[in-house]
Amino acid sequence: MATFSTSFLGSITDVNHIRSPLLSHKLVASSLCFSGQKLQLAAVSTVVEMGGGAKFKGTHMREKKLTDMIENKVTEAQEVCAGNEGSDECKLAWDEVEEISQVKAHLRAKLEHEEDPLESFCSGNPETGECRIYDD
Amino acid sequence: MAVSTVYTVQALNSSCSISTPTKTHLGIQQRQVLFYSNAGKKTNKGRVRGGEIRCAGDTIVIGLAADSGCGKSTFMRRLTSVFGGAAEPPRGGNPDSNTLISDTTTVICLDDYHSLDRTGRKVEGVTALDPRANNFDLMYEQVKALKDGIAVDKPIYNHVSGLLDPPELIKPPKILVIEGLHPMYDQRVRDLLDFSIYLDISNDRDMAERGHSLESIKASIEARKPDFDAYIDPQKQYADAVIEVLPTQLIPGDNEGKVLRVKLIMKEGVKYFSPVYLFDEGSSISWIPCGRKLTCSYPGIKFAYGPDSYFGNEVSVLEMDGQFDRLDELIYVESHLSNISTKFYGEITQQMLKHADFPGSNNGTGLFQTIAGLKIRDLFEQITASKASAPLEATKA
Repeated sequence: MATFSTSFLGSITDVNHIRSPLLSHKLVASSLCFSGQKLQLAAVSTVVEMGGGAKFKGTHMREKKLTDMIENKVTEAQEVCAGNEGSDECKLAWDEVEEISQVKAHLRAKLEHEEDPLESFCSGNPETGECRIYDD
Repeated sequence: MAVSTVYTVQALNSSCSISTPTKTHLGIQQRQVLFYSNAGKKTNKGRVRGGEIRCAGDTIVIGLAADSGCGKSTFMRRLTSVFGGAAEPPRGGNPDSNTLISDTTTVICLDDYHSLDRTGRKVEGVTALDPRANNFDLMYEQVKALKDGIAVDKPIYNHVSGLLDPPELIKPPKILVIEGLHPMYDQRVRDLLDFSIYLDISNDRDMAERGHSLESIKASIEARKPDFDAYIDPQKQYADAVIEVLPTQLIPGDNEGKVLRVKLIMKEGVKYFSPVYLFDEGSSISWIPCGRKLTCSYPGIKFAYGPDSYFGNEVSVLEMDGQFDRLDELIYVESHLSNISTKFYGEITQQMLKHADFPGSNNGTGLFQTIAGLKIRDLFEQITASKASAPLEATKA
């Protein structure tokens, strides 16, 4: 591995020289594209349409359950808060929506960047219902 | 490049334990104490046994205040990546555990210290943001125990069911991160922290991720704001580093919110923590890297650096407005920052590339989160080094 002096102040001409050692490191991200020096470091915020969906039936069921929960809790919050904003019940209702939203966001992020959460369980128990491979 | 010092060990302190060496990760210098015995039985292989000695009080505690739920935030992933290895939930345990464990780091979610479950909170009329929903006594006891090298049975708060599940065993790690809404709320817990960070990502609410509409996201933020301002926000004053996200100033009248202005506010005078600076420490700098040497696309990049006062504390603020578009912009910026605690030239760029698909990879959030991770690594190594030299000092006296 090449070593560089930390007091080196780079100029643009040296950047090209640096590119290959950095590239030789294992790059996990699949959304990089290289053409000359152009690199896409796009912030991926819309995870919904991208790949990396649920692998196991159990995870798919959980995702669906969370989506339903969010919908119900949002409706509930809107009802409770109608004309009653600032009340404790209103705060609580939206706090619950927030809590479940975070769970769903994490599940999506995990599916996107890591493995299906049931992976380790299912590798040891492939015959259980939850571990059936989910096909769209 | 390896430095070894030979000590004669009189007797092992009973609070020390011996474990077989773990893999050494790139980027972390593990202090390995190898011991050789010339007395006693030979092993089967006829060779001396070696191992790593870890003594009580080796654990470093980092507090992370964030409102994005626990353990899976982008910041945590970047941090564990800097230390090497991937952090995973404990294998074979409760699948809804919030805890993450890697070789060096354990991340505990402070929601596990909820004294009220979802039903309980409804009955009492308090949100999860309210301190009354949390058991700070237990939080303090357990964090203190882990810091002293004692394993604990920590409760689990199940975010799906909203119930408190049976506890899981947590063993003291090298680095303990306590993440959640109230890491710095209780004074006793605060005093246990070696370093604390406040992540202000209140603007980071993505519609598609959250699973509900923009209006309901706004309503949810509005409804939680009073509790947030009363209980969570004030923790900023105690944090050693704050990452704040604001709208850009580069695009007049912008309401898309895609380009961000991010501030890294660093407390001065914190032991083992030297704030990042631009060009000349303690002065005020305004820097636009784009020009003759570096071509940027619209809206470009703008940096600012300078001393300031924050909640009565002396701080240094590094600010980035704009976006990275290309690799050479990143490396150019990295080469002009000082005190970044990298181990080799281009380490920040490499870390950002490694997680190019994470949110914030093209702006100040990713940059400052990566820098914060490197600062924590630096802090860890300094503290570990100072602890190792302390016994030697004692024998000299």
